[in-house]
Formats: sequence, structure tokens, C-alpha cells
Amino acid sequence: MSDLLSGLIQESISGIALGCIYALIALGFTLIYKATEVVNFAQGEIMMVGAYVNFFFVTQFAGMVGGLNGWVFLAALFCSTIFAVLFGIVLDLIISRPLKDEPVFSIIMATISLAIILRSLTAMIAGPISLVPVSPFGDSTIKVGGIVISVLDLAIIISAIILMGIFFFFFNKTRWGIAMKATSEDSEAAQLMGIPVKNVYRMVWVFAAIVGIISGVLLAPRMALLDTTMSYLGLKAFPAAILGGFGSIPGAVVGGIILGIIETVSMGTLSFHFEWIKEINDIIVWIVLIAVLMIRPDGLFGIAKVKRV
Amino acid sequence: MKRIVSIIIMTAFIWMGCENKSTSPGVSDTEILIGNIQDLSGPIKELGLLIPAGTNMYLDYINSQGGVHGRQIKMLVEDHGYNPQKAVVAAKKLIEKDQVFCLYNVIGTSPAEAIRPILEESGVPLIAPATNSSSMSDMSRQAAEYIFHTDAGYDLQTRVLIDYIIDKNPDAKIGIAYQDDDYGENALKGCAEAEGNHGITVQKESFQRGATDFVGQTMNFMKGGCTDVIIGGIVREPVTIMKTAQAIGYKAQFYGLGPTVDPRVGMLAGEAGEGFIAAYWANYPNSDDSGPTLYRQLSEQNNVPEKMRGLYHYYGFATAHVLVEGLMKAGKYPTRERLMKGLETLHDWDSGVFPPITYSRNDHAGVESVILLQLQGGKQVAITDWRE
Repeated sequence: MSDLLSGLIQESISGIALGCIYALIALGFTLIYKATEVVNFAQGEIMMVGAYVNFFFVTQFAGMVGGLNGWVFLAALFCSTIFAVLFGIVLDLIISRPLKDEPVFSIIMATISLAIILRSLTAMIAGPISLVPVSPFGDSTIKVGGIVISVLDLAIIISAIILMGIFFFFFNKTRWGIAMKATSEDSEAAQLMGIPVKNVYRMVWVFAAIVGIISGVLLAPRMALLDTTMSYLGLKAFPAAILGGFGSIPGAVVGGIILGIIETVSMGTLSFHFEWIKEINDIIVWIVLIAVLMIRPDGLFGIAKVKRV
Repeated sequence: MKRIVSIIIMTAFIWMGCENKSTSPGVSDTEILIGNIQDLSGPIKELGLLIPAGTNMYLDYINSQGGVHGRQIKMLVEDHGYNPQKAVVAAKKLIEKDQVFCLYNVIGTSPAEAIRPILEESGVPLIAPATNSSSMSDMSRQAAEYIFHTDAGYDLQTRVLIDYIIDKNPDAKIGIAYQDDDYGENALKGCAEAEGNHGITVQKESFQRGATDFVGQTMNFMKGGCTDVIIGGIVREPVTIMKTAQAIGYKAQFYGLGPTVDPRVGMLAGEAGEGFIAAYWANYPNSDDSGPTLYRQLSEQNNVPEKMRGLYHYYGFATAHVLVEGLMKAGKYPTRERLMKGLETLHDWDSGVFPPITYSRNDHAGVESVILLQLQGGKQVAITDWRE
């Protein structure tokens, strides 16, 4: 295999893993948007809370059994998921429910406030010193034909695919999923048709919290050090959601992965062969985004909505 | 005639006496008030906890021994959240409302740069701005006469590292990974100097602050055939790059600038970090020099938690030595003017925490040499003398 090709594949795999994290955050945006037409700007912060909560459980359980092992990580993941369910219910109670019939703009402002509050609360509770998250897979890697894949990256990719699959199935094939879609279309009509809109809203917040928390659990070991700046990655996932088409689950996945690959390949092979790419590395994602939106204004998988006036 | 002479002499004595006893704001009979601006809520709030804690440990030690000329030193800490505008507001508050005697340790290049106009307007000195950027000791810039820098610049650190590499192996192919901001810019300045001196070209790869993926950059160093790679990062960058290199089977000698001396680099990188060389500009916390020995002793006495000890806590402790020395030199009746003049008399001053420091009217640069530390068996060991 030529150096160029193997380099590109190596970078792309890393990019896909990074992209899957973006995709999971974008999925969080998408789930809430799909049902409520609200953009939740606190999704990155929910992810950060997930990383911290999981860290807490891992340390507690490791303390109890006197060391780290696979069960500790599984138990911590289980507890973190239960936490996510409760967290989602609380978020629904404090953000979504009181503001249900208010303008979308007010709810978006509330999510921005929530983001700031979550960041500060986490820093207050966990203290400002960075934590050192442990990967359940250590530094282990597998080698396939000269390409090295870290087991952690592989786990990220597989978890993302499973989660995406579950939600895609849920939204398209189950009664609750269709109810959610109907609610997003027209919440009043949905309510009149007997759909328990409040329960639907609660469910999407719970789902978004689960996705957020799991993305935090997966991303933390990739960061070497865990601090509250992790939440800023939420903003990076935002263009992924737009690129894929806001509100589309496959769109979130594809958008996230495309951005992840662009990021690693532009920093790597492209920069190596074209010196000028280095100058535009930090804006290249936005250039691609604008280019895609010029051709497809609703994103890659977005469906153009025509509103009658 | 005799009468006139004695009147002149007496007037002179009274004038001198008044002059000596006139003091500045922030100085009472029992206390000297110092203002510190840290990031307590922004991206480096960790440092905002550790650095002032280290400083207070040393100030408490000095205060317990009677303080400076009988006055206790008290430090007020304001927050700028790494926002230059907030740094300006905080500096104004400290100077105008709290009436501090001087500023100390304002953290971050951009916040410290932003308060230059206030220093000039108020005549308040800034001792030991907490940034490795050499722009702080550039005497051609605004308010430079009020700023006394301690840290050796990233440019110097980079240049010394390249000199070291070329000394060892004149055919070395060097790469540098730099952060896409003023930290990286300052490192590239030193890199350009070294390129000129040695007639070499260094392969440069950038990364964004907060990046988690370095596969592209590491692959590029490998493709470029780099034998020696300098990482201008903090903790995550050297750890991830070295681990990535190990995973893809790329062997090179890795180096880091000041912030990578953090012991967490060795802890997190494990085997991949063995042999990592970092440039440092103070007597490192584990050494047997008098400053680090006192540091360890005070840390024990004060029961400083293990997770707080290390690079940044030590940094606060170390830079406080310059502050205290300046206050000593300012005399029994300190003014801001006397503080600055006093510091400018320091010549090859051995603080125990830094290599000898010299300040003069035209040189406020502080430490101008670097020592190289290598991770050997997970421990940092000095492998060179001080290099300039």
C-alpha cells in the first residue's frame, strides 16, 4: 500500500472516531429539535456532565472493589445511564415544561443559560483541578494491514452506530417515535389526536441526556485530561448537525463523520502536501459547511420545509 | 553664615526624613496589599486555584517570620476568566478601589498585554506576569518599565532545544507541533531564530487549542522523516502525540516546552513518554536546590494535597520570591518607585528557585536560561546545565 493511501486511511479512521463523537452530540441536538423544534445549546455541557458523573462512578466502584476491572466500567456505565434518565427528566421539568407554549426563542435562551449553569456547577462540585479519566481499553490497539486502530476508537465507532441504529428504528418504526415526529410537526394537532405531548417532550429530553452522557463517557478517555472545557466540543458538533440537515438522524451521523475526517485529514495529509492548508485549518470546516449549504440549503439529508403563508 | 548652613542642613534632614517616610497606596504600618488577577472561571481555572495557593504558601511563610520590614503581605485575587477586557476591569478595581501597592502574577499573555495602558496611567508595577511569552520583557513596548518578567520566553526555550538537538546530531531533522495562538507564535519566533543560526528548516505542524486528535500531525512528522520533535503543548498534546507515535510505530525523540514539565505528562504517557525531554526555566520541584527543598518542606507542613503539588503550585511559590525580594528592596517606607528601583539593582541574585536573575533599567527579562529535564523511569532528571 502506498504511503499516501495508508496515511489517508489511518487519518480517516481517527477522523471517523472523532466524527462519531460529533455525531453523537449532533444526535442530541437532532432528537430535541425533531420533537420540539428547539435547539438545545447545552448538549455539549450534558456530555461534560456525563464524563464527570461516569468518572465519579468509576472511582467509587474501583474504591469498593479495590481496583479497576471490566465490571467496574460496566457498572459505572449502567449507573451513568440511570443518572442520564433522571437528569433528562429534571431538564424537562425545569426547561421544557415551564416554557412549553413560550416562543422557541425563550427556550433557546433557557438552554444557553443551562449550559452556563452546568459548567459552573460542575466546576464547583468537582473542583477546578483536571481529572484523569481511565480508558477501559487502556492503550490497546489492533493492527489491520499496516493500519493501527485504537480499541477505544473502535468502541466509540461501534457504540455510535448502535445508538444511531436504535434511534433511527425508534423514530421510524415505533408508535412513540411517530408520535414524536407528529408532535414536532404540530404539537397542538398532535395533542388533539390524543398524543401525550408532555410525555413526548419528557422522553426526548431523556433520550438527549442519554446520548449526551454516553458521548461524554466515550470521549473522556480520548482527552487525556478531563476539565469543563470539554463542553466546547458541543459547538464543534453544531456544524455537523447543520451539514447533515438539522433534524435528520442519518444526517447527524454523516455530518459528524464528514467533519471528523475533514479535520484530521486537513491537519495531516493535506497540510503535508499543501503548505497553505495550514493557514486555513481552523476555518476549513466552515468553508465546507457553506459550500454544502450553497448547493443544498437544508443540509445533506434535510428535507426542505415549505410553509404556507 | 553658620546659622544659614545649619538651617540648610536641618531642612535637608527634614526633607529627607519626609521623603523616606512617604509611602504609596496599599501600604499601612502593618500590611502591604498586593493585587493578583487569575483565571478563576475560564479555561485555565485549574491554574487559578493552584498558582495563588502556591504564592500564599510562601507569603504565609514570610509573614510567619515577621513579614517584610515588619509588614504582613496580603494578596487579593480577582478573576478575569481569561478575558482581556475583564482583566482591565479587574486591574482598575484592584488599583482604584482596593488601592493595592502593586500587581503581581496577572495570568495569560493577552490579559497581561491588555492592562499595559493601566500600568502606564497609574504607575503601578506588575511583578512576574504569569506567562512565558517574551513580549512581557520587550522594553520597546508600552509600560515596559513597570513590568518585571520572570519566565524565560517560549522563543528562548525553543531555540535552546533546537541548539541542543543540533549539538547532539548535526544531521537531525527537526519538527515542531505548535498551538495556533500567541503561545505557538512565540515558539515559532525562537524556531525561526534557530533556523537562521543553524541554516536548517524545521517542519512545522499546527494544532488548535483543545484538540484531542493528533494523528495527522504525527503522521506528517513521520512522513517528513523527523528524528526529533518539539511539542509546544501543555499536557494533553505531548501525551497524545507520543502515544499516537508509539501506536503507529514511529520512533523519534520528543521534546516539550515549559508547560510540558507537568508531572502528569510522565504519568499519563507511561511507557510512550519514557525519554521525553522538556525545557524548564526554574529549579525544578524535585531538585535538591534550596528553593525546591523549602517548597517540599512547606508543602508537607501545610498538608498540601498531593494532587495540588507540582508545576503550577510551585510556580506561585517560586515567583513570590521575586515579589518578596522587591518589597524587601523597596525599604522600610516602600513606594512603587522604590520597588522598581530596588528590583533593578538585582544582579545575579540567587533566589534558590531560579537560576541567577539580573534586572536593570533596560532589562526586565528575569530568567534567561533553560535547563533540560528528561523522563527516566517516570522521574524527571536534569540532563544539562543551564543553557542560554
